[in-house]
Amino acid sequence: MKGDIGKPFDRIDARAKVTGTATYTSEIGVANAAHAVIVGSPIARGRILGIETAAAQQQAGVLAVLTPANAPQLPGAAPDPKKGERVLNVLQDDRVWYVDQPIAVVIADTLERAQHAAALVAVKHEAAPVDAALDASIGRAIDAGDLGPNGKASSARGDVASAMATATHRLEQVYRTQIQAHNPIEPHATTAVWHGDNRLTIYDATQGIFNVRDVLAKRFGLEPKNVRVISHYLGGGFGCKGSPWSHVVLAAMAARAVKRPVKLVLTRPQMFALVGYRPTTIQRITLGADARGKLVALSHDTTAECSRFDRFVEPSGLQSRHLYSCPNVTTSHRIVELDVGTPTFTRGPGATSGTFALESAMDELAYAANVDPVELRLRNHATRDEDEDKPYSAKTILQCYAQAAQRFGWSKRPMKPGSLRDGGKLVGWGMASVTYPAKQRPAAATARMLADGTLVVQSGTQDIGTGTYTIMSQIAADALDVPLERVRFELGDTALPEAPLSAGSMTAASVGVAVAGACAKLRAELAPQRRAPDEPWAAVVARSGKPEILATYAAVDSPERAKYSCHSFGACFVEVRIDPLLPLVEIGRIVAAYAAGTIVNPKTTRSQYIGGLVWGIGYALREVSVRDPRSARIVTRDLSDYHVPVETDVPDLEVIQVDEVDRHVNELGIKGVGEIGMSGVTAAIANAVFHATGKRIRELPITIDKLL
Amino acid sequence: MTHAVAVGARAPDLALPALVETADCPRVIAFVHRWHPGADGAALRAELRGLGAELVVVSGTGVWAFGPDDHAERVALLSPRQLATVGARFGVSGRGEAVFVVDEHGLVRIAHRSDAGLAGGLADAIAAAAQAMLADSAPAGMLDRREWNLAALVSGFAFVFLTGCKPRDRAQREAPVEAAALPEGLAIELDVNGKVRALRVDPRASLLDTLRERLGLTGTKKGCDMGQCGACTVLLDGERMLSCLTLAAMAQGKKIVTIEGLAQGDELHPMQRAFVERDGLQCGYCTPGQIMSAVGMLAEAGDRQLTDAEVRHGMSGNLCRCGAYPNIVAAIQSSRPGRP
Amino acid sequence: MQPFTYVRARTVDEAVAAAGSDTRFVAGGTTLVDLMRLEVMTPRTIVDISGLPLDAIEEGPTGLRVGALARNSAVARDPRVRARYPVLAQALESGASPQLRNMATVGGNLLQRTRCSYFRDGVSACNKRAPGTGCAAFDGYHRMHAVLGGSEHCIAAHPSDMAVALLALDAIVHVRGPLATRTVPIADLFLLPKDTPHVEHTIGANELIVHVDLPATPFAAHSRYVKVRDRSEFAFALASAAVAFELRSGRVGEARIALGGVGTRPWRAREAEAVLAGQPPSPELVKKASAAALEGARPRKDNAFKVELARRTVARAFEELLVAQDAKDGGGAR
Repeated sequence: MKGDIGKPFDRIDARAKVTGTATYTSEIGVANAAHAVIVGSPIARGRILGIETAAAQQQAGVLAVLTPANAPQLPGAAPDPKKGERVLNVLQDDRVWYVDQPIAVVIADTLERAQHAAALVAVKHEAAPVDAALDASIGRAIDAGDLGPNGKASSARGDVASAMATATHRLEQVYRTQIQAHNPIEPHATTAVWHGDNRLTIYDATQGIFNVRDVLAKRFGLEPKNVRVISHYLGGGFGCKGSPWSHVVLAAMAARAVKRPVKLVLTRPQMFALVGYRPTTIQRITLGADARGKLVALSHDTTAECSRFDRFVEPSGLQSRHLYSCPNVTTSHRIVELDVGTPTFTRGPGATSGTFALESAMDELAYAANVDPVELRLRNHATRDEDEDKPYSAKTILQCYAQAAQRFGWSKRPMKPGSLRDGGKLVGWGMASVTYPAKQRPAAATARMLADGTLVVQSGTQDIGTGTYTIMSQIAADALDVPLERVRFELGDTALPEAPLSAGSMTAASVGVAVAGACAKLRAELAPQRRAPDEPWAAVVARSGKPEILATYAAVDSPERAKYSCHSFGACFVEVRIDPLLPLVEIGRIVAAYAAGTIVNPKTTRSQYIGGLVWGIGYALREVSVRDPRSARIVTRDLSDYHVPVETDVPDLEVIQVDEVDRHVNELGIKGVGEIGMSGVTAAIANAVFHATGKRIRELPITIDKLL
Repeated sequence: MTHAVAVGARAPDLALPALVETADCPRVIAFVHRWHPGADGAALRAELRGLGAELVVVSGTGVWAFGPDDHAERVALLSPRQLATVGARFGVSGRGEAVFVVDEHGLVRIAHRSDAGLAGGLADAIAAAAQAMLADSAPAGMLDRREWNLAALVSGFAFVFLTGCKPRDRAQREAPVEAAALPEGLAIELDVNGKVRALRVDPRASLLDTLRERLGLTGTKKGCDMGQCGACTVLLDGERMLSCLTLAAMAQGKKIVTIEGLAQGDELHPMQRAFVERDGLQCGYCTPGQIMSAVGMLAEAGDRQLTDAEVRHGMSGNLCRCGAYPNIVAAIQSSRPGRP
Repeated sequence: MQPFTYVRARTVDEAVAAAGSDTRFVAGGTTLVDLMRLEVMTPRTIVDISGLPLDAIEEGPTGLRVGALARNSAVARDPRVRARYPVLAQALESGASPQLRNMATVGGNLLQRTRCSYFRDGVSACNKRAPGTGCAAFDGYHRMHAVLGGSEHCIAAHPSDMAVALLALDAIVHVRGPLATRTVPIADLFLLPKDTPHVEHTIGANELIVHVDLPATPFAAHSRYVKVRDRSEFAFALASAAVAFELRSGRVGEARIALGGVGTRPWRAREAEAVLAGQPPSPELVKKASAAALEGARPRKDNAFKVELARRTVARAFEELLVAQDAKDGGGAR
């Protein structure tokens, strides 16, 4: 009410982070914690015949070596592969599903001792033939059934085949995307502390403390209330920390076995093997359009790899159902089960891989129909969601196109590829539409006004670098008219009110609505007790004789929201520069415009947008986890072989935050901004490469060898 | 009339109605004369975490009860008479102080009383108790001097009165061993942020792990442990280097500066301030390495003003997965006086 | 990491005396500590030579003399190196990261081990890590691997940029052994893998590199390093070229061409040098020379692109060098 929402406050946790006092999971002080190191399977498929642990056990300081032969049977319920739980069934049998699968864990008093002892563990195994290449096994693709939280795997409206027959322009192309590894700079880390036999505290680097709590409670047969999960700072997540993986169970198992706290931090190579990845996809896009480029038919068929033991489906086709107006649309998702670890959500899941295919195809259509790529998108603009047959809660994409194009100077773009040069370099301009769903999940928060005037607001959410501490404090300060510095927002503890995963760009909306609700409730309680309209809240509390006055609020989606299709939108314009002799693609500049409803903090929001763009640069040009099909092992398994963008890969990035008021999505009009920066950018880069060189690259990443 | 509480016996009831008795969680019960929240801070909480226990402090300032990750809450205020009554149940006399570890079954595992009071503070007393709990199962590890002192104190802990743990700073310094592989580790001295720290390390220990795991300086981050991400950057004799590929033993004789050594008290270093203002960070995990690298880079440049392109080149050894790169360049450029 | 004895050497003699087959010297640590942690290297003793007085960069009998312990960054920013051996400064500047360049030494850089991920993973068949186990890269993923100098036993690329520059500069490596100091021309330092890929160079286990001499050749000051990689910085070379020649009356004088990223050792392209020598520069000549440089390349499926890429890299280095010399001569050379 006093206007804290929308102001570019400095990140509240920045001071702790720049001074090194922000305590990440593995840094939380736990006296006498032992160190655990995972021993991975050398084979991808088969059985463990025996594990020789004597040499390891003889090392000084080794407390235990757990293997399937001596690990305690987990008392919990049978794992549900649909929920990705089979990966958690560690050391329970001799079966190997994927390479590097944990088959033993060594626990020692120091890290150095645990690491070396782990290297001394020898494995006898019986290997079965491995199938680890999507391309070679695409014949085995099966229907994905459903997309988990993203609904049905397929959709159909109209009649694509008939419409294609009438189309003037027909395009059918296959686009391929690679494995992307999340690689947060903070590796996964878990410290497990047992309090007796039935209570457990887990310090975990996670995007979802309640999910970790529930999963561990189930695995160890505990009451959820007896499992406490804490995560105050997270050193990046991007999806791999969205669900607990094998090491979390191993840490708890190990701590129980050695009767002292155990800390387990994954190595960087293990980060490529044990905690999911964005899977390889093969996407077939069929477009039919009339002479002016208006779509008459669109189909988007995705085949993605998956493991044999748990289910994850990369939802690449979702945006194709609604982004453009088209009467005849089908989408489908199929998977091929391989002898690999299970993939998972990765920043901008579905949209990142999916918009690469769709928006590359739209660019190809623009050239086929000889229509400017922006103009083509305007001609196909959808004013309502034709898939769900609902109006959009707000869709401000036309302003995004217009503002970004204007700022970029798009009107000066010659259509012909290879026609722009600067010095010796080829210059290319490309663009793409951008979209990502605006989601919301139930969340609760408590607001407590203390007698000293401090407003403590609590919710069991996470700050994964997105700015949750900051924006929730702003929302609270705004609701109760208190200065920002008097607000203390607490998160990352399952002792606090329950909040959802920090994923899917839904934290700002989900937790924001809960925080605003709790604060409004608290205000309603405090306000009538004021003796003057501007009496400080502290005085009200002091008069009450209580140490604090509090209110808790549980937020759910509004019924209003269900009447609308809720998405954020944007437009991304990219300039690439390519040395024709040594064609490593450089990004010259990017101008991107986004409309995502209410922006609580434009400073941290801009950081989210540019972060997404940098990820897009990496996915488009640099990053690939290469799997050796013989062993199924990732060959590019460190940060030297796997090329995350570096400072010199990224120019200054220009982001336009387009005003948008969304009255339907939720009470605050918040849509979320964490993923949308990744949507579209990859295609815009590929389209710019085409414009520069005349080469259409349909397989990511666009490395130098593809342009020689 | 006070009487001793036997190890292995059921712990007396505190009989404090405000204290919910949770039978399934170990508990440390401490009798100290005066205690305030924050008195032992992080060290105390680390010890509690290590024991997996909650703490009940019975003191003249009240009865406090909390887990290691909770705010300390005062659950009762006791009159001197009530205090004496509760103490008597545990065999703690008027002037004495004591620490008891009670397991999840309500049995006393460790009992330590001192008529002269707990020397070294509550955290050290609990640390000694934890060492005693571990003594059966744990082999002697690579201990620093404080840990040796504690370990020396724990044998027969339950039966003897502890006269006090020597605080770590009082420990005598030994001459560092120049070239040896002692079975119990190398004795080394590290000059970190202007303070000389003596400790014994495994020759295999990296400077990074030594800072983080032994010296409590966790601001320096481990991202890859292979020299490929820059998160562990520190200054060695003023030059930016990677602490993950530096053996602790090899860092002797060098002036080590970590992120914790940059600010002057509450006053942030200009580079730190610039990172805050320009939002040169998101998750913050690569940030200490970025800042140390940036400080090192500007020192290399001397008086020369770097172009944005030079800053990018000079910072290319520090990965930021959140993608804060443009803001990092802006922060570095704005950190110098005379720049916008 | 396997337990080891840590010894700090106070003199060169002490270091050499402590050396042996199960012993490694450590200075910057950037290769050794990394590979020890991966248990790819498992010495029983490591001798810390970082305190030895071998870091000077000074005038030697034949040109500049660079101490084995001179840090990569110190060499790269030395004004004498920059003026008289620009290819060396450029190669060093293009390698690794600023932090690693502050740590890595000249001697360590020369002896760094390959980045082949099958070598580093500790599991795969690798004749270099575990002689006789085979080569997983040969029929595996080998996009980063060598197209020159490989054998069926090993196709791992040599990772050093600096060594490629030193090859083009005819550097002389001075090595101290238990009895005497000897000199090794850089061209004789590195071995082809053949059927013993684990034997990588001609320096003995009890020998220590003490310094490297950079001869004052006519072409040294006219030299250039071009490196092509998968990202703009902080990556190993897909292909690199160190080219040095002096234009004399419009003709290429004595020339040096060395390649990185494409050979199992830093690769001297003598055939290409021969093509250039005495000829007036022209696009055709460059084409011929760069083709000659890759003569004998034996690419496999993932690294076939490197042949063309390396040719282009040589051409780019040549062109840039020509332009630079042109500019100096006021454009008259062409």
